[in-house]
Amino acid sequence: MAAGTSPDVHSLDPEAFLEEVHSFEFWFQSVQGYLAGTQFGHRPDVHGAPLAPAERERLVSTLCNYCVGETAALEGASGLIAIAPNRLTKVFLATQVVDEGRHLEVLLRRLAELGVTDPEAEIERRASRSIVHFKRRLLELVASRDWEAAIFAQNVILEAMEFTVFQSHARDADMVTREVLQGIIKDERRHIGFGENELGRRIQASPHIRARLGEVKKELDHLVLETFEETLRELGVPASDRPELGRHYLETVARLGFA
Amino acid sequence: MVDPLEKAVDGEEAPRQRFLLDDTGFDEVPPKYRRFYRKWKGPGDVLAPNEAICPVCKVVIRSTRELREGDRVYCMPCMSRLVIVRAEDGGLEARVAY
Repeated sequence: MAAGTSPDVHSLDPEAFLEEVHSFEFWFQSVQGYLAGTQFGHRPDVHGAPLAPAERERLVSTLCNYCVGETAALEGASGLIAIAPNRLTKVFLATQVVDEGRHLEVLLRRLAELGVTDPEAEIERRASRSIVHFKRRLLELVASRDWEAAIFAQNVILEAMEFTVFQSHARDADMVTREVLQGIIKDERRHIGFGENELGRRIQASPHIRARLGEVKKELDHLVLETFEETLRELGVPASDRPELGRHYLETVARLGFA
Repeated sequence: MVDPLEKAVDGEEAPRQRFLLDDTGFDEVPPKYRRFYRKWKGPGDVLAPNEAICPVCKVVIRSTRELREGDRVYCMPCMSRLVIVRAEDGGLEARVAY
């Protein structure tokens, strides 16, 4: 469609906007824009330069932690479809499940390219206790059918921190890892926006749920923060750049009314 | 019909500037909506009068008209509805409207 003839997005009715952005059609046309022509998350003609042994070790450990986070979100999002309160949120979560499955697949593929022959065993051996503990608690929240707490843990705490860490990592990563992460980051925009807006609307309608979510925040956010701070340190991100991780997350929770 | 948002009020408010939006290569939304968004290029980047930065996902939102206080804009990449408000520094900024 020629520029100037497409509809003005900002003149959409709010209900029409929500209907559009939660749809599978919107998701499909969006991901086509940046994934068409890629194979396992990167252009097929992009190849990474060989990594020094120590650098490879650090990258493998980092990717193992990312895999735990993505598996948590894959299992969490798929479980949440059953308790999602309406059609729009169910359909959106279905698109998130596809995204998370793709993330896990491309990260496992990257591990294989780095010479990891048994990724499950490697993840088991290398993943940080904090992120494994977080995954277990997230899935318990899903199993207990606590919609707000599970969305808060998954789409606010986990996704907001992944969004920042992946951006930091992508800046200095080898070409293949960079392209893989950049594709994931584009998906994460939808996930963080969904979480914040869904909870924002719910807190506005029922302010009393904020106290309960505050308890979830107190229990869980340090687990993810610890994991990703360690990741950034291992990746050699300067200490001066690391507060960015906490800042983006704190800005998000501040908008939701958490000090 | 005159758009009330464009009409000068007792001569105090100038008509809004209009902008033609071109495709900047932003690829995270369906093609028909791409011209309404662009990437934030970092600290050296400057927002035009028809642009605001999304506080949720940091994408630059673009409008066909100059933005003013009270305008509603949408960030499609992160599915947020935003309202333009006057910031503490006197400039305009987008705030999430849940």
